[in-house]
Amino acid sequence: MAEPEATVSEITAASNTEMLSFNVGDAIYAIEIKYIKEIIEVEQITLVPKIPGHIKGVINLRGKVVPVISIRKRFEIEEIPYDSRTCIIVLEFEDGEQVGIIVDRVQEVVDVKSSDISQTPDSKNVNANRYIKSIVHFENNVILLIDGNKLINDDRGGSL
Amino acid sequence: MAKFEAGMEAMADMYVFETTSLLEQLDQILMKTENESGFGEEEINEIFRTMHTIKGSSAMMGLENMSKLAHAIEDMFYIIRENNPVISSPEELYDLIFAASDLMKAEIELIGEDEYTPTDFSDQMNKIEAFVAVLKGESAAPEASAASAPQAAEAAVVEGAGDTIVKVFFEEDCKMENLRASLVVNRITELCSKLDYIPPDIETNSDTAKTIIANGFEIHFRPKKNKTIDEILDTIKNTPNVSRCDLICRGSTDDDAADENISTVCVYFDDDCKMENLRAALVINNIKDVCENVTYEPADIEENSESSKVIVEQGFIVHFDADKTAAVVQAIENTPSVKLYEFVEDHSQQAAPAAPAAAAPAAPKAASSAAPAAAAAPKPAAPKPAAAPKPAADNASHAKSSTGGSKQSLISVNLNKLDTLLDLVGEIVITEAMVTSNPDLNGLKLDNFQKAARQLRKLNEELQDAVMSIRMVPLSGAFNKMTRIVRDMKVKLNKDVDLVFEGEETEVDKSIIDQLNDPLMHMVRNSMDHGIEENVEDRIAAGKSPKGKITLSASNASGEVIIIVADDGAGINPEKVIAKAERNGLLTKPVSEYSEKEILNMIMLPGFSTNEEVTEYSGRGVGMDVVRKNIEKLGGTVSVESKMGEGTNFIIKIPLTLSIVEGMEISVGDSIFSIPINSIRESFKVKPDQIVKDTNGKEMIMIRGECFPLIRLYEMYGITPFTYDIFEGIIILVETDGKRACLFADKLIGEQQVVVKPFCSLFSNYNIKQRGMSGCSILGDGSITIILDVNNIISDF
Repeated sequence: MAEPEATVSEITAASNTEMLSFNVGDAIYAIEIKYIKEIIEVEQITLVPKIPGHIKGVINLRGKVVPVISIRKRFEIEEIPYDSRTCIIVLEFEDGEQVGIIVDRVQEVVDVKSSDISQTPDSKNVNANRYIKSIVHFENNVILLIDGNKLINDDRGGSL
Repeated sequence: MAKFEAGMEAMADMYVFETTSLLEQLDQILMKTENESGFGEEEINEIFRTMHTIKGSSAMMGLENMSKLAHAIEDMFYIIRENNPVISSPEELYDLIFAASDLMKAEIELIGEDEYTPTDFSDQMNKIEAFVAVLKGESAAPEASAASAPQAAEAAVVEGAGDTIVKVFFEEDCKMENLRASLVVNRITELCSKLDYIPPDIETNSDTAKTIIANGFEIHFRPKKNKTIDEILDTIKNTPNVSRCDLICRGSTDDDAADENISTVCVYFDDDCKMENLRAALVINNIKDVCENVTYEPADIEENSESSKVIVEQGFIVHFDADKTAAVVQAIENTPSVKLYEFVEDHSQQAAPAAPAAAAPAAPKAASSAAPAAAAAPKPAAPKPAAAPKPAADNASHAKSSTGGSKQSLISVNLNKLDTLLDLVGEIVITEAMVTSNPDLNGLKLDNFQKAARQLRKLNEELQDAVMSIRMVPLSGAFNKMTRIVRDMKVKLNKDVDLVFEGEETEVDKSIIDQLNDPLMHMVRNSMDHGIEENVEDRIAAGKSPKGKITLSASNASGEVIIIVADDGAGINPEKVIAKAERNGLLTKPVSEYSEKEILNMIMLPGFSTNEEVTEYSGRGVGMDVVRKNIEKLGGTVSVESKMGEGTNFIIKIPLTLSIVEGMEISVGDSIFSIPINSIRESFKVKPDQIVKDTNGKEMIMIRGECFPLIRLYEMYGITPFTYDIFEGIIILVETDGKRACLFADKLIGEQQVVVKPFCSLFSNYNIKQRGMSGCSILGDGSITIILDVNNIISDF
């Protein structure tokens, strides 16, 4: 669990961090650009039985079967029907694994100075599941930077 | 820095492949002899040959460290073979060779990496040398001189009896005497079969000019067979600036001498082995180890890749000293890819002491005592073939003919190419489905089209089978690797264990084998470490043989390969397991609700290890967890069976191939599932009188007097179906492993071949394999189907 410390210092070490911001509910989230493979519209999602609800199923991404996670469900926000602005952000991890996340709306790529990034409070109650890696102040907005690895590692059963 | 010289890059793959298999062979021989406690003549020769080949090809690749280490082992076995010393500590010998073999294997893995720097093997070399010294000390005194002879003899070759020696002086003040000397050398190179000169480094070292002025330029040569010494002397004298040429020693001169001394062999390589010129260079390299005086045609093999064509057409011609025929023949034989070689009879009788071509089989002793032997004892080779009709002759000739015969029909192919081929076939299968079940065709009557489509399908199936069979390899390779692990652990853990194989000839897909090594290793280690009892007394008390036994068995069953790792150790104590699981907080329900099977399978949960102590081999609590993950990645399952006091079985079930399954598509609500066709017995609409209910209201279906449980798929998977009405939907009777059940689905869609894609790792935590889903696949229309595993559905129900 000492992991997040290390990653925060890693971010502060680099001068600028590029991240893609998106909306889920009222909040603005962002994920580092290094994870992002592409952004696609919501297409037919094939349900896979007997898996937790936040994994909506799998999609066919040009011949590759990619699982899709609902960010709303994962963050325990009430789900809304998909509309024309709902997107799947396809993430690609270091081991080549691809995972899609469903978000309400994709905003833009922002280039954030390290001085604008602050750590999340160390608390047992706030951000208990550590999905938020750090907090970003950008043009009067507060953006919550999501830890991509953490997002899927819970499902993978820890280290892999 | 470039790893290899230009032109060698392409050889690197081949080198890695060949050397790896040679080292594996070596391990096997060692393991076998260790069990039988002692080297036979044949084994020693085999090890000798293996090391010799590694030495030669490593040298060719410029891997000096590998080559030297191989050479050290080769020397050691030379002494073992020649002197037959009493080896007081065989364990030390085995450890030494195993360690060396491990080093070389590790090195070969490194070669594949970009930043390759050769490892320093000098430690290991020193150990080997120390051991050799002991061997020499122990061996009988008179033999010792013979053993140390090779180096001396090699040196003697340079001096070579029969060489003509001249001293050349140049005109005073002509300057650059060294370069002038090299001009002399250039001029006479063509005329001499053998040429040495002092100082040797004239071309690179300008200081040699002074030496030449002071002492003259000394040339040792032997004329080619159609040249005379005088001719050469004239050539030297006629070279510009040569003032004087003193004949110091007139060697054996004439044609006859040359004839006696030179044998000629024409070497042919395997068809299609490619890069014949480099292979030829390898031959030369090998020969040079045993015979200094070698010339060959075409001469420009290393620079000119066109020469490979000449070699293919006319063979590769090698001239060498006749008195080393046996060793040279051996060296040629040992070179990979050599198909055949024959002696060229274009000179006198004496040149054929090694009765053409048949030389090797007929003279096993001479040939196999090989390299240094010939150098050490430059006896005429002629009498040997006659003197050595030993039983080994059969073996040698047999070995040669078998390699000679079957080698031509085998090629090694890069696995990537096979993977590409398989992917393509997968795409073709999907595309075929896209074409033949194209929605545009709906409602059309197309007899000819259908006929052609059927033909296409049949051919595609054959294509698939062919591609699959290419990729199938027997499990014995993976099993054999375990022998080594058991051997090492036996020593370290001080447990006496037999490793037994059953059904190791069972074949599985290459890609599966590669990923099986780790899980198998973990399981064997686990059985060695935790399974087999710590104390022999415990075993005897339990009425078991004091020697432990681990069985690796493999068999085929309905499209699956079943691999069992069984030990006859203490077995797993379920109480201990559950207690530990409770301590580690792994339980999700009250202790009393766990079945024994569930408890046993807990040992494969992440972070579980029953052993109290962490050892070198296991106990970090990752082993069995990794096993499960790796096997599930392959689309397989692992389960544990154990009986206290009797032993533990780990049962792995993996699909025969990862790739293509003939499936029946069924729909339940919006979901499409594929059931492998080989587990479907029949499908039908049920009639009211076929339905039987048990006391709990659970439904069964009666077919021809037999009752089968009814599994409603929508219920099992929590899907909203189109119909809940059992009479409206369809019933599919499935069977695997003798277990049968009826599945209820909305409707049948049709039969299609699907290319299996394993589920992503994101799902690995949710045990969906146990819920009867083995993978997914993409259909012709781009939709995704989930492949059902009937076996797990029935056990889960």
